[in-house]
Parts: sequence; structure tokens; C-alpha cells
Amino acid sequence: MISLAGRDILHTWGKFVFTGVGLGLLIGVTLVMAGVYRGMIDDGKALLDNSGADLWVVQKDTLGPYAESSSVYDDLWRGIRTIPGVAAAANITYLTMQVAKGDKDVRVMVVGIMAGEPGLPGWPPYLVAGRQITRGHYEAVADIATGFKLGDTLTIRRNHYTVVGLTRRMVSSGGDPMVFIPLKDAQEAQFLKDNDAILMQRRRTEANPAFNRPGVPGLLDAVIASQTTNNYVNAVLVRIAPGYTPQEVAEPIRRWKRLTVYDRAQMEGILIGKLIATAAKQIGMFLVILAAVSVAIIAFIIYTLTMDKIREIAVLKLIGTRNRTIAAMIMQQALALGLIGFAVGKITATFAAPLFPKYVLLISQDAIVGFIAVMVISALASLAAIRMALKVDPAEAIGG
Amino acid sequence: MKILPFQGRTLALVAVIVSLLALLFYVALRSGPLAPVAVTVAAVENRAIQPALFGIGKVQARYTYLIGPTFAGRVKRLDVHVSDRVKAGQVLGEMDPVDLDDRIRAQQAAIKSGEAALRQAQVKRVFAQTQATRYEKLLAARGTSEEVVVTKRQELAVADAALAAARDELNRFRADLQGLRAQRSNLSLIAPVDGLVSVRDAAPGTTVVAGQAVVEMIDPASLWIDTRFDQINATGLAANLPAEIVLRSRQGEILQGHLLRVDPLADSVTEETLAKIVFTKIPEPLPPVGELAEVTVQLPELPVAPVIPNAAIREVDGRRGVWKVEGGKPVFTPVVFGRHDLQGHVQVKQGLSVGDRIIVYSEKALHQGSNLHIVERIPGVSP
Amino acid sequence: MSGHGIRIEGLKKRYGSGETAVDALKGVDMQVAPGEVVGLIGPSGSGKSTLLKCLGAVITPTAGRMTLGNDVIYDDGWKVRDLRALRRDKIGFVFQAPYLIPFLDVTDNVALLPMLAGVPNDESRRRALELLTALDVQHRARAMPAQLSGGEQQRVAIARGLINRPPVILADEPTAPLDSERAMAVIRILNEMAQKYETAIIVVTHDEKIIPTFKRIYHIRDGVTYEEAGEGKSIT
Repeated sequence: MISLAGRDILHTWGKFVFTGVGLGLLIGVTLVMAGVYRGMIDDGKALLDNSGADLWVVQKDTLGPYAESSSVYDDLWRGIRTIPGVAAAANITYLTMQVAKGDKDVRVMVVGIMAGEPGLPGWPPYLVAGRQITRGHYEAVADIATGFKLGDTLTIRRNHYTVVGLTRRMVSSGGDPMVFIPLKDAQEAQFLKDNDAILMQRRRTEANPAFNRPGVPGLLDAVIASQTTNNYVNAVLVRIAPGYTPQEVAEPIRRWKRLTVYDRAQMEGILIGKLIATAAKQIGMFLVILAAVSVAIIAFIIYTLTMDKIREIAVLKLIGTRNRTIAAMIMQQALALGLIGFAVGKITATFAAPLFPKYVLLISQDAIVGFIAVMVISALASLAAIRMALKVDPAEAIGG
Repeated sequence: MKILPFQGRTLALVAVIVSLLALLFYVALRSGPLAPVAVTVAAVENRAIQPALFGIGKVQARYTYLIGPTFAGRVKRLDVHVSDRVKAGQVLGEMDPVDLDDRIRAQQAAIKSGEAALRQAQVKRVFAQTQATRYEKLLAARGTSEEVVVTKRQELAVADAALAAARDELNRFRADLQGLRAQRSNLSLIAPVDGLVSVRDAAPGTTVVAGQAVVEMIDPASLWIDTRFDQINATGLAANLPAEIVLRSRQGEILQGHLLRVDPLADSVTEETLAKIVFTKIPEPLPPVGELAEVTVQLPELPVAPVIPNAAIREVDGRRGVWKVEGGKPVFTPVVFGRHDLQGHVQVKQGLSVGDRIIVYSEKALHQGSNLHIVERIPGVSP
Repeated sequence: MSGHGIRIEGLKKRYGSGETAVDALKGVDMQVAPGEVVGLIGPSGSGKSTLLKCLGAVITPTAGRMTLGNDVIYDDGWKVRDLRALRRDKIGFVFQAPYLIPFLDVTDNVALLPMLAGVPNDESRRRALELLTALDVQHRARAMPAQLSGGEQQRVAIARGLINRPPVILADEPTAPLDSERAMAVIRILNEMAQKYETAIIVVTHDEKIIPTFKRIYHIRDGVTYEEAGEGKSIT
């Protein structure tokens, strides 16, 4: 016995492959959508992993530093450093802003890292080019997603920074790439306003008789100076020494009454549960819709393929072909179509994923589930077509 | 099937299917958790590094002179403008004497009246003396009572005292006059040294209090840079080290200088060490006071030691170290580090030997057992 | 395989029931001897198609008796269990249009039937080639149906109808789309095959060109058949 399915595919291979490719693109889009969803979750995890912290110390009763703004004094870290169980404590600031790149703007998260050495919490954990920051000012390490290259100059507020190192996959929870600069520069960037605003503030202070007393020379200057200093950071990152649990270390810090402390699990809950939740749900719903559309289209394609052959099926039945044989032909074609579709879809998804502006994470689990789903859907769709095919009256082959 | 019909077409389709499957296989292997991580590798080398310290400073004048009146008054005129060079002793301006001249005249009049009072006191004393002598003689001749003589003696004493008082009063007036004259001469604002006028704090007509500066001066030869270094990166900061200075407004120009001194008081709030850097030759035109400058202090070259790039430093489980490549697999090696320079070279004190191959750049975080794919350059990074 | 051809007695077919019932066949008698080619002529609505469908075991008659060779296949009810096998092995079909399977080449179109019956592929193809040669269309053995002319396709269809050496062949307007030369060729082939394989062939037609060639003709009108002697003109 020859394979009727195989012969039919060979005969109309162009249409078959073309249909398979079309189906594959649809499956590819669905896989990419799943990848976008996973990518969002991974962005949140990457942010937490890359910070190198086990505990986050933030302003009391805030969900900061990522989900909510938080300000703590920048000398707080010294007190935290001496608590038993703390291996390292470092200040950190986060500021999402536009940075000029040539004549375009790039949206980045500017991270202020405390003076020290690589390995301190907050410092980029690994680089793909260049070196870590060695000077206390005006150097930056940028993520390659910003488009900056080694040696580029970027401008943040008043200052110019030279890019000395590049990282990969350092992103904020929103997917904005990070730029690491020394903490002092970042504090200035975060809290020091632009020149116009500073001039306005100076004029207001000068006009205020409480600060501009003739009998007290120097008072005005002192007040203006105090307005332009900044003693705040967004959080203190803490790394726990081996042998201590996060609770043991977090409790004493919490008892200081002005601070909230989150451990890794709680931060994940905040980031992924609160920050990303809505966007993730949105994507999840879209994914479901895409999957439903895919199901409908696979079913439709297989139905149409069968309908095209209805005359031949009637003739086959008339000349004595077994129902089983006809059913097998349709089922085999459907499965072959599903296979081609999935292969094209997976390959397209893999090559298209890096082109997306935000991270798209394709995991094997999704691919396997997708494969099983496509095969099952193809089989089920073919059942409908088979039912129709078997109902065909062979007498139709004989004219009225 | 003995012979495949339509060999050409079948072969083509088979080729398409096979290549599709191969691509799928490739994709499965290259992405996902089994995928190898691209890394670059370097060898630990022996090198002499020259550490340097980097700080930001502000151009300041070592000596700033604030010239102003010693009493409250009004500024009458200022003869100099900002950026004028002045010589020592030059008159920069003058305060309004207001009523000072009148007060001097009043004081002179007071002196005159004091002199008159003195003469009056002298005359009175002479008279009292005469009277006393006469009544003494009368007492000797029993021409008067003891009481009268005593009274006359007392009047003499009073007249003496009054004379002394009148003299002292006159001296006081004279001293006051001298004081007023001194103040009168103080109305002029005089430049204490050669220098440059940097600020005019009060315009003519402004009322100022005692001690308030009207004109500020700096000595341009004494410009230095008040520099701040992060304490954690200030190892080896000491006087007389050579320094390179780059002024904010002159980015491409490197000026030479050296470290004059490290301040004994550091800034504990910002955790910075303060130091003063002087120019070897003050640049012309003068950089404005307050301009920012970047200062790099060169430390002496260190002896040759094993050195690694700081991009290789990783932290795993609370320990700092590097990933060594052993048998194609990554092995985390804790390292004790020494000094470092500004180019990112870090000395290795313990944990690695020269020639060990370590991972410098990686496209992902590494774990024990990661598959490595050693490349020249991480994909995605342009040269 | 051969035997006494096909015999139909008192075949009735009623569509529907009750008041809307339609009697398409009201008692048809027919008999075709092995090796004989008879014509079946009738206007549309006469029950021609219904008769063919009953003969082809595609629909179930209401009453009557059908005998194929030595076997009674229907006697007021089907007497065979596997109708499809009956169609495959005992009845050959030749249609108005060739209805070749477009994705099988000519040889496989013909060889399909024995393959379905379980004959090994090599043997099936050998037999197919034999028939194609007899029908003088073997030079197109590897071509796809779309590449053949109408007449060639029709001949392949005839080969398909013959390959299982069925005792009966039902041909429904086999010459309708053909010109007179081709039509005569088809009738000649049918007669040759009938002679050679002792097949009883019933040709439903109203093609004036071929009607004179039949020796016997059945007319069907209002569900009843009338036999008539034909001209029996020789075929050139």
C-alpha cells in the first residue's frame, strides 16, 4: 500500500509548505508572546539577582526602592554595617531618566553605586567589555541595550561621563537598561535641580528676610549651600554573612523604627506581584487569545485541505477504499502540517526574539508544551475533517 | 516502493524537511539552559602597576582678603572693579564719614572748652593757694580760727583736684580726637597686599555693618585646588606627589601640579579626604575661583606582581574572587587583592599564580558547571 | 470471477415514505451475459441513475433480487456483508469524467485498487502496466493525470475499472465529453475488454454516435425497463 497522505503532500508540496510556513508564523508569534511574558518576569528577577543583595533596607512603610520612591539618609549604612550577620552594606540610588545619545534620547535607569570595589552590593556583577569604575566621578558602566559603546560620552544633568565598561541583561523591572555611575554623582543628579531652578531658588532665598540678615554676613551663603547638598539615597543593600538567616539580620534593622527591610522573597512578591502583575496579566490574556486563534486557524486549514479533496475522497470511497484508509490519510496530513508549523514557528521565534526591544525569554518548557498542543490540536481538527469526509456519499461521484 | 517516482521533487522536499529538522535541533541546543555561555579568557600576568588617585576639586585662592569697615556706615565710593589688579596699600574705596567730620570738629571744640576749663581750674587753684597761704599766716598770727584755716586748706585741695580733673578731661578729649582721627583715616579701604579684586560685595550707597566685607581680594599667585578624594580610594595620598589637573572649562589640557598637603581634618559626612593641590605654573588666563577641576595624583610605581583586570572580579557566596578555567569548566577561586590602578588592573596577593587562565567577560552569570564557549569577544559588543 | 454475468429481477426503489414517497424503480428486469456490452438509455428522471446506484451497491434497493455471477448479492436485503469490498472486487466503474486521483501517477491510479485489496505493490503495478499496455496508454505510465489528454485519461479510467477483473462494469456516459473518433475508440476498447475478460458491461448513454453499436439496448422509462434489439453496428 502506498501512502496516500505522502503522495498528496508531494503533489501539492508548494501549497502544503506554504500553508505550513503561514501556520508556523502564527505559532511563532504565540511562542514569542509567551516569551514576552516570561521575559517580563525574568526582568524582575534579573534586577534582584544583579543587585547582589540579600536584604533591601528602605524608608519606613514604603515598597521601595523599585515599586515606590524611598529616601533614607546616606550615613545609615554605617550603622547597618555593624549589625552581626551583615557581610556588606552599600548605599544605592535609582533614577529613571532620559540620557542624551547623539541626537536621540535613551531611557535608562541610572544607578548610583557606592565608592568601593567590584563585589560590593549594587556593583555590576559581571561585564561583557571594558572595566569596572575606578575613579570616584565621571565614569560610567552602561548596559549594551542602551546602545552605548566603550569610550562614548554620555551626559547626565550637568556632567559628562565616559563609558568604561559594558554589561548585558542589567535592566530595571520595566525593562529599561541600566547605567552605573558613582553614588555621589548620582545623588547630585537625583536631587540637584537644573540651573534655572537653582537660580530661582537662590533668588527666593535672598528675598527672604529671615535668611538675608545684614547683621549676619555669611548666613545667606550657608543657607544656599545647605539647599544644594543632598544627603539621601534610595536604599541600603545588605549582603548577609554565611551562617545567618535573613530574619536574624532583618529584625534588628526593623527595630530601628524608621526603616522597612525586605528579603529576597518579599522583593520578588512586590516586583512581580505588584509592579509587573497588571502588564503580565495583559500579556497573559493576549496569549490566550492568540492560542485560541491558532486553534481556530489550524482547524480551518485542515478542514479546507480536506474539502479541496472531497471529490477524490468520494471517488476513493466509491471504488472501495476503506474508511480507515481515508481517515489515516487526513490525520497524517494534519499531523505533518502541525509538525512543519511548529518547526517553522520555533525557529522563527528563536531568531526573532533578540530583535524585540524588551527581553524575550523562550524556555524549553514552553516549546514542549507548544509542540504537544499543536500536535493535539492538529489531531483534533483532523477528526472533524475526517467526520465530514466519511459522511460523504460516494453516490455523489455518480452524476444525478 | 522500488523506485521513488519524481525523484527530483521528492529529494527537494526531503532536503527541506531535513534542513528544517536540523535547524530545530540547532535551536534547541544553542538556546535554553543547555546552551553554553560565551566567555572571554585572559591569563594572569606579572606587571608593575602605577596606582593613581582621582579626585574632584574646586579652584580656590589660598588667601582671601575681606576688606571692610570696622564700624557701621555707608559706602561712599569704590575705586576698583572686579578683576582689577591692585598693589599693596592702594586705596580701594572709601566709606562715607557721615557725621565723623562734625564729630571731629565737635571734639576740637570740646578740647577748646576743656582748655578753658583747665585755665579756669588753674586760676581757681592759684586763688585757693593764695587764700590758704594767707590764712596759714593769719593762723600763725592768731588772726583767724582753726576752722577757717582748715576750710581754706580744703578749698585748696578741692582746687587741686579740680585742676587735675580738668587736665585729665582735656587729655581725654585729646585722646578722643585722636580716636576719631584714626577712624577718619580708617574710612579708606586699603589693599593689604598685591592682588586681584574678586568680589565687590556692596555697591556705593549701601549701608554695611562692622565686619561686613565690602571688597574681596585674592592673591592670584596663591591659587590652589581644594580636592576631595573618596576615603576608600585614598591609599597612599601624601604631600609632594605629582598631580595632573584638568580644568572643567579646558577639557583637553592637562596641567601639572603637585600635592601640597593632605588636610588633617577630613569630611566625615561625605567620607572624603581633603587635600590641596597647587599648580606648577599658574595658568594664564586665570581660572575663575570656584571652577571645578579633575585631579589625578600619581603614586610611585609598585614592584612587579601578578595582576588581573578588575572586570574579572566576581562575588560568589559572599567571597570575592575570580572564575578560573580548569579543564574547560569554570572553578571559583577566592582571591585576596592588593592595590589597583585607574586603568582597572588589580594586584593579586593570594589565590592565583601567573599564567592561570581566568574568565574576564561573560554574557551571563556563571555557576559551577556552566558550559563554557570561549570567544575573542562577547557577541553583541562591537570592537 | 465470470459466471452468468448480472441478472436483476423485479428491482424496486422507493425514496421517502407515506404520501411523499417517490417510486424511482417500479420493478426492473435486466440481464447481461458475460462478455456482453449492453446500452441503457433513458431520459433524466427515468430512474437511470437510481438503477446504476443500486447496481453499484451504492444505495439499497427496496425490493427485488440481484445476482452477480453465481452469487445472489441482494434478495430483499443485502446478502453480502462488506459492500465496499463488493464494489472494490466485483464492480468496476467508469464515469463520465475520468475522476482520476490527481496526486497519484497513472500507474498508481490504476494500481491503487489491487493495493487496497492487499496485493503487494510490485504485483499491483505489474498488473496495472499490463492493462495500460492493452489500452495503448502505457507510454504515459509515469505521467500525472493532469498531463494527459481527455481521451488518455478516459482510457486510464477504464483501466482502473478493469484492473480487479470485476464481473460487471458500470459505465455512466463514458463518451459524453468525447468526439466521435474518441467515442468509437472507447466503445471498441470496452468491447475488446468484455471479450477478453468475459466482463458484463452496462453502458448508460444517450450518445447518438455509439448507440448503433449495441446489440441489445434497455430503455428505461418511469422506473421500468424495456428491452430492444440494437443495430449492432460494427466498430471501426
